[in-house]
Formats: sequence, C-alpha cells, structure tokens
Amino acid sequence: MSNTDTSNNAPVSVVVVDDHPAILAGVEAWYAASRRPITVVAAGSSVGEAWTGPGSTADVVVLDLQLGEGGLAFGSLRRLVDAGRQVVVYSMRDDEKTALNCLDLGAATFLTKSEGREHLVEATLAAADERPYMPPALAGALGTNARADRPGLSVREENVLIEWFQSESKELVAQRLGISVRTVNSYLDRVRIKYANVGRPARTKASLVARAVQDGLVDVDDL
Amino acid sequence: MWTTVLPMRLGHYGANGAEAAGPTDGPGPGERLLIRTVERYGVWLRSTVVLLCSALGVLSADAADIPVALSLLVPALLACAVRLYSLHRPLPSASLWALDASAVVLTGLAQPVLGGAGADVMVEAILGISVITFQHEWATRPTAGFALAGLGAAGCALGDVLSSPGHTPEWAPLVRMLVEVSLSRAAYLIIRGRARRADRSGAARAASRREADVAAARRTTEREYLATLHDTASATLLMISQGDGHDWSWLPLRARRDLEALSAMPGFEAESIVDLAALLSCVPEDEGPARVQLKSHIEGPLAIPSGAGLAIFNGVREAVTNVARHSGVREAVLRAGADGNAVVVELSDTGRGFVPESVSARRRGLSGSVIGRMHAVGGSASVISSPGTGTRVLWRWRWNDRARTSRRSDAVPVPGLSGPGPGPLHAQLQNTAVVRFIRGQLLYGARLAALLISLVSQFSISSRQLMAHQDVYHPGWAQTVAFVSLAAITVTGAVHTLRGKQLSPRARGWSLGAVLAVSAVCAFTLPPERLTGPQDWAFGLIGWHALVLLADQPVRAFAAFLGAHIGLNAAAVFLLGAPTAAQLSAMGIATITTCGFQLSVGVLARLLQDMATAAATAAAREEELRTRERIQEEMQRDHKERYRALTATTVPLLVGLGHGALSPRDDEVRLRCGVEAARMRRLFAESDAVADPLLNELRACVEVAEHQGVTVSLAVRGRRGEVPVEVRRELVDPVAVILGRTHSTARVTVVWTPREVRVSVVGADRTDGRDTREAAHGRAAGSEVHVARTTRGGRVWVEAHWSRPAVTEVVPT
Repeated sequence: MSNTDTSNNAPVSVVVVDDHPAILAGVEAWYAASRRPITVVAAGSSVGEAWTGPGSTADVVVLDLQLGEGGLAFGSLRRLVDAGRQVVVYSMRDDEKTALNCLDLGAATFLTKSEGREHLVEATLAAADERPYMPPALAGALGTNARADRPGLSVREENVLIEWFQSESKELVAQRLGISVRTVNSYLDRVRIKYANVGRPARTKASLVARAVQDGLVDVDDL
Repeated sequence: MWTTVLPMRLGHYGANGAEAAGPTDGPGPGERLLIRTVERYGVWLRSTVVLLCSALGVLSADAADIPVALSLLVPALLACAVRLYSLHRPLPSASLWALDASAVVLTGLAQPVLGGAGADVMVEAILGISVITFQHEWATRPTAGFALAGLGAAGCALGDVLSSPGHTPEWAPLVRMLVEVSLSRAAYLIIRGRARRADRSGAARAASRREADVAAARRTTEREYLATLHDTASATLLMISQGDGHDWSWLPLRARRDLEALSAMPGFEAESIVDLAALLSCVPEDEGPARVQLKSHIEGPLAIPSGAGLAIFNGVREAVTNVARHSGVREAVLRAGADGNAVVVELSDTGRGFVPESVSARRRGLSGSVIGRMHAVGGSASVISSPGTGTRVLWRWRWNDRARTSRRSDAVPVPGLSGPGPGPLHAQLQNTAVVRFIRGQLLYGARLAALLISLVSQFSISSRQLMAHQDVYHPGWAQTVAFVSLAAITVTGAVHTLRGKQLSPRARGWSLGAVLAVSAVCAFTLPPERLTGPQDWAFGLIGWHALVLLADQPVRAFAAFLGAHIGLNAAAVFLLGAPTAAQLSAMGIATITTCGFQLSVGVLARLLQDMATAAATAAAREEELRTRERIQEEMQRDHKERYRALTATTVPLLVGLGHGALSPRDDEVRLRCGVEAARMRRLFAESDAVADPLLNELRACVEVAEHQGVTVSLAVRGRRGEVPVEVRRELVDPVAVILGRTHSTARVTVVWTPREVRVSVVGADRTDGRDTREAAHGRAAGSEVHVARTTRGGRVWVEAHWSRPAVTEVVPT
C-alpha cells in the first residue's frame, strides 16, 4: 500500500518527543506491530531526549511540534535537522502553513495525529532509509501551495496530490485516474523530491535527493 | 390672420413638450395635480371676472338696452356656471369647448348692445382674462385653448367694429392679447416642466426604495418559509432517520400536514383579527413518543392580527416540541394574557435548562421559529434559561408597535395587510424631503414664469409705450431712469433665480423698496389723468416684478405690496390733479383688472406650492400599490421556485409517508429521510452570515451525520474564495447524500486551488450495485459543477468540483 522498500529489514531505533502519555503508548503499540523491528529507545516530553543518552543516536526522531505551553518547536526542529537527524514531525496541527514550514526546514515528513495509525510506521521506516514519504495531509498542503518559492508541478502531479488528500486511498486514486498504484506512488515521490530540492538547504534534503536519483525515482534532468 | 397660424405653431410646441415627458404611462402625480389646479384656477378666475364685469356693464348701460344685454350676458354666465359644475362632474370636452366658445362670442356681441366706454372696458377685461385662462383651462389641449383665444380676439374685434361702425379695428390690443396668450402658455409649460422633473426624480427614488422593500419582503417570507420547513418536514424526516420511535401511528397525519404547510403560499393570508386565546388552546401537546402535558392559564379573549397570532402560535408549538426533546420533563405551563396594550405569552418548564449563548448557530428552533418569526411581525420573543433552573420562553406583541414596524425598511407589510390610511400618510409626508423637493421645483417654476412675464412685458409692451410717449412724461429722464432701474432689478433677480439661489431677506427688502420707488417716480412724473392709460408703462408692470421677488412668501405679503403700489398711484392722482368720476371709474377698473389678475397669479403660485404635499401623497400611494404588486409577483415566483426544488426530493417522500406507501421501518426510507434532513439543514445554513458559507453548509450536513453516530473527519486546504449560492448547493449535495447513507466513518474535504474548488466525500457504499444518484434540490441549469464518483471495496468516493471564474473577485449571491 505504500512505497516501502521491503528489501531492507534492518532494525530501526526511534526517539519519541511528545508530552502526552497516551500518544506515547499508542505510538509504541503501533511500532510493536511492525514487521520490521522498530525500537523506541527513548521517549519523553522534552526535546532533550533526542540530544542525550540513547535518544541522541536514534535513527529517527518523532517530534511533536507543540510541547508544553510554548509556541511551535520550529527551532528545535531546525537544530535537529542541522545535526543531520531524520525527523518525523507528528502534530495535532492540520494546516498547510505548518506542514510547508516543516518541510522547508528539512523534516523527513509531516504527519497529523489523526493519520498516525495509518502512516506513522511507514513514515518512520522511510525516514530511516532516507526515502520520501507523503501522507495525505501533507499532500493536501503541497497540492494547494501558492507560495512563490514552490517547485513547478505538472497538472497530473497536482491532481494526484489533491486526490490522495481527498480519498486517503491510493487504490481509489489509481482507479479514478486509470493508472496503477505504483504510478501514483511515483508521482508522490517525485513531488517530495522536488520539494527537497528547493528552499532552505539541509543535509537531510540533499541525501533524500541523492537517494532518489540513485534509486531511479527521478532523473537529474527533472531537477 | 394670426388666429390660424398661432395654434399650429404653438400646438406644435405643446406636442414637443408632451413627447419630452417620455413615460408611456401618462403624466405623473405632480403633473396631474398641476393640470387640475390650473384648470380650477382658470375657471374660477374667469367666472369671477365675467360675473363682476357683467354686473358692472349692466349697471352702467341704458335702461332700454338692458333686456337685450341680459339675453346675451345671462347665457354667457350660465356657460360659466356649467363650466364650474364640470369641475366636479366631468362633461364631454366637446360640449365644454362649445360652452366656452359661446361665452366669449356672446360677451363680444354684448359690447355694441351695452354701448359706451364702460362697456368697452368691461368686455375687453372679460375677453382679456378669458384668453389667458383658456390656456390653463385647456392646458392639456393647447389647440383647443388657442382656438378659444382666437375666438375671444375675434369677438373683441367684432364688438369694436359693431359698436363704432366705420372704425377700423385697432391692432394694438390684439397684439397685446397675442403676447398675453403666449406668456400664459409659456408660464404653464415652464411650471409643467418643473412638475415633471419632480415626478421623474420622485419615480427614480421610489424605484430604488421599491427594490429595497421587495427584497426585504422576500427575505421576510424566506425566513418564514425556512422556519416552517424546520418545524414541519425537517423535524419529521430527522425523527424518521434517527428511527427513535416504535409507535409510528402519528406519522401519516403529520406527513400530510407537513405537506400542506409546505405547499401553502406564505404571506398571502388576508390579515384579520383573531383571538389568540382560542389559537393557543389548540397548541398540540406533540405527538407520539414526545407527548408534553400543557397546563394552560389563558386569560382571553386576546385580539391580535392574524400574522402576529400565527407567529406566536407557531413559536409556542416549536417551543413545546423543544420541551419534549431537550428538557427531560413531560410537563409545561402556558400562560397568556394582556398587559396594557400588549399581548404576553409565556411557556415555562422545570426541566434541565441550558445556556442560551452556547446553542449552535445552526440550531434553528429558537432563533428561527421562535425569535425570528416574532421579529418579522414586529413583536419580540426571548428565552430565559440556565442549567438546572428550567426554561422560560416569552412572547410579547404590542398593538401600537405596528404602525411603526410596517414602515420599517426590513419589516414590510405583508400584501393584503391594510396600509396606513390617507390621514396618517398625508400627515407623515407633511414636511418630508420629498414634499420639500416638489415644493421647491414648483416654486422655481413659478418664479421662472413670473420672471418671463415681467421681462417680456417690460421689453415688448412697456418699452414701446415709453418710447411712444416720451413727450408726456415730466421730466422724461426720470421715467427712463426708472425703466432702467426696474430692468436692473429684474436682471439681478433673474441671475439669482437661474442659479437656483434664494434671495436673502435683506436683498429682497432692498429690491422691493427699489420697485416701489420706481412705482412712485412713475406715478409722480406722469400727468395724473394719464395714470393707468396707454402712456403709463409702469402701473401694470410693477406687480410682476414684485411677484418674482415674493413668489415664495405668503400671499398677504404680495397683496400688501400691491396695496402700497396702488396707494402711491392713488396719492399721485389725488395730490396732483382733480379727476372726474368717469376718469376715476376707468382707473378703478384698470386697477382691478391689472392688480387683481396679478394677485390671482400670486394666489396660484401659492396654491402650486401647497399642492406639493398632495402630490407627494398621491405619489406615495401609487408607489405603495406598485410595490405591493411587485412583492406579490416576486413572492409567487419565489414560492414556485422553492416548491419546485422540493418536488423532486422531499415532496415524494412526504406523500409516500402520508399515505402509507413508504414505511418508516424500512431502512431505505430511513436513509432517504436522513439525506433529505441533511439537505434541509444545508438549506437553513444558506442564510447564515458567515465568512465561509461553503464550509458552514458542509458542517450543517456533517452535524446531522454526527448526530446519527457517524465519525466524520473534515479537512480543508487552500485559500478560500467566493462561490455563488447555487453552485454551493451542488457542491454540498453529494456530501449530504453520501453522509446520509454512511453509518461508520466518512471523510469530507474542501480543496481550494487558484482555478477551482473541489468538495469531496468518502463514505460507505451501500448501494449494492444499484444506482442511487438521487435528485438534488433544485439543480441549476447550465451549471459548471462536475461530479466524479468512484466505488471500490465498499467505499464510495464522490467529488464535486467547480471551475472558478478567471476573475478572483466574484460577487456573492
């Protein structure tokens, strides 16, 4: 159902930064059910968990943007990205501005909490492998992005983004457009790579692009 | 010769004027009143002059000639009497014309019979006035007026020739008559022009006000319609879709009643007085599972107009339903009684109560059915409640509030409701801007006419007199200076008038003083026996100049001026000379005909200004009629349109339920009811004033689904834009349909791109392969909304998208 590279079965370590105990419990349960082993090596309500102890070497950081009473943790996200960490932003917020900002800062992906059950495991694995991942809420944000610095998308690419956002089902999108699920995925991946190639430079973005070229997801000429 | 040429020329002029009026539906109220006023004025003035002069003529005639004179003058007087009578009871215009013609011809023939200088003056005075007033009496038929004037001139000439045989008729009086006739017609045309202008601007104002009134009436009816829909079909369908009844025996009757309520044309019940006490005693205690026992304490009878009575009755019904649904108790107390000139109704329960402010804006039971309805009829309703203390709903309606609300802009009287009577309307308009405007226009017209008369008289007749008789004035230069000063005053007045400025009281005072000074100079530098004679150019002229200055003042001011003017001349006559009785009587008659006529014109100017209120009243009444017609038309159209929208969807459902063809226990029927209920909720949400109407209407549907236990995720992306209401209907409708058929989870999204708006819903596919695309509420023809539908594995995904116009700013409907 997703663009998972099933060939890689190496275990993945994760640090979860979230101030809600119920969320932490839910996340651990989903990871436990994953076919490929995912271990939560540290969890807590402070970003400090990702910088010290076992959390500092985790493959993936799952970060809630809204910690405590403070504003959105964009600063923390930037510092983590600058340190070369793969960050999956996992937020209550469901607005395109936040999603676009996170992507621009270099987050691996942006997930809303209502998408967690369906997409958190796959998003985490994709982040660990430096592969692109596009959940529906993010697709909706990219499909309607009107910022001046947005990358140029084809009409088809925009359509796939919006329909994926609307239906949350790649099978339905494929059926509507008369293409295969695989093609739907390739459109989504291409868009994600285009976004990694614009805006604020970050090491995570560069590695995402490099990996995509290497896997043949995109042509260098496309970028 | 000119009698034939003139009517044609001026008749042509008159025709031009008629064309310029433009509107095909005849003259406006101002012009019609003007025509009537000048006609009455003309007939009365002429009749008065004929009567007075005839009496004087008979008195001064030889005894032997009196029977012959009477046989000529009595028919002339009778003709005038019939003409006066015709002012009240219109007669055929051909016979009226014949009467007028015979009056002038007979008077002309009386001249030789009566004989003597006295008779000449009388007959000339009668004919001189007649030719002038004919132009007003026959204002709408200038040809007839000119023909009568021609006859008058002919009569005058005939009398001259017959009374002094061998004498060639003099041209000067005829030329004078020609000038007077032309001036009279011109004055009428000037004032009529102003009246038309007032009518036109009044009509333009009225048209825009009418639009506002019609729109307000449509809104009021729309509100009432939505409230009715909410209390009837919407409530019934929602109950069925929720399936929370085991005993459905009440349903067929209720469904049939709902259907009647929907098809009843709202707002067309004739307004009558009803007894609210009797109405309230029939408030149903709700049907089926939700029975509420009402304890009534009603102190009747309570007389109230049917509109307000129904608003209270319907509101109480809805409030009783609310007690059943929300209060948790099965008992309520209904009180009604009079409080002074107000009717007060209260429904209270001891149930669980609620916080009125916390009720969602899309819950319409209280805001629409109870409060909105009362506002629409000019009453008030309030809800007092808090958790744990029960709920009280209060209705209040006052008798004397009504006159006020019926003129309010957003509460237009329902057609069929008796409007304000002639008395109050007349009084209301007494000093409004409209009346002031009409009065201003007519005053301006009167001023212009007086100005024209004074200028033409001064520079045609008077200037010739002055030049011809230079030798008799002593000193001559004094008269010339007076002439020039008078001209200067008139030109100053003309400039002021044409610029539309008011004379300051100071300037007016000075000008009047100067005119009086001219009067004095002329009176004292002319030999006294020549005063009012052919050499006196000033005596008849002074009055017109004064009229220009005094047109907007009460008539007594003008009369006082004329008195002073006559006094100066009389003083000159008595101080400087010793006039004979014959000279005095000729002077007296000249004074009466000249100044009397001028005074009568002053009175007319005043009458015209007073006419403004009547004109405004007539205009307002016509306007009210026209507005009512338009409202009726529009409301009938709206109603048809609304009913048409329901015929495809709700109506068949109610018919089926009402006649037992559809069962509320059937799942498919319940699903259809749920869809219709959601559609109605969306319709109610249409009239909410919110920033994002599309999202608001979607939420209305989502709320119905959530109420039935569906988990709906609603997500929006992109920058919101404007979407016309009919497009929104089509965009939201698939959502209502799919949500109505989904029982588990659903996803609703709105995506705004710069080019389009896309509304999508994913829900359960419960069609089992059947095609259940249901007819939507009133699908607009030629709509640009495209719907795509995909089903897979028990899920259905429907997307409606609409291409937004290239222009980003779209006027919201």
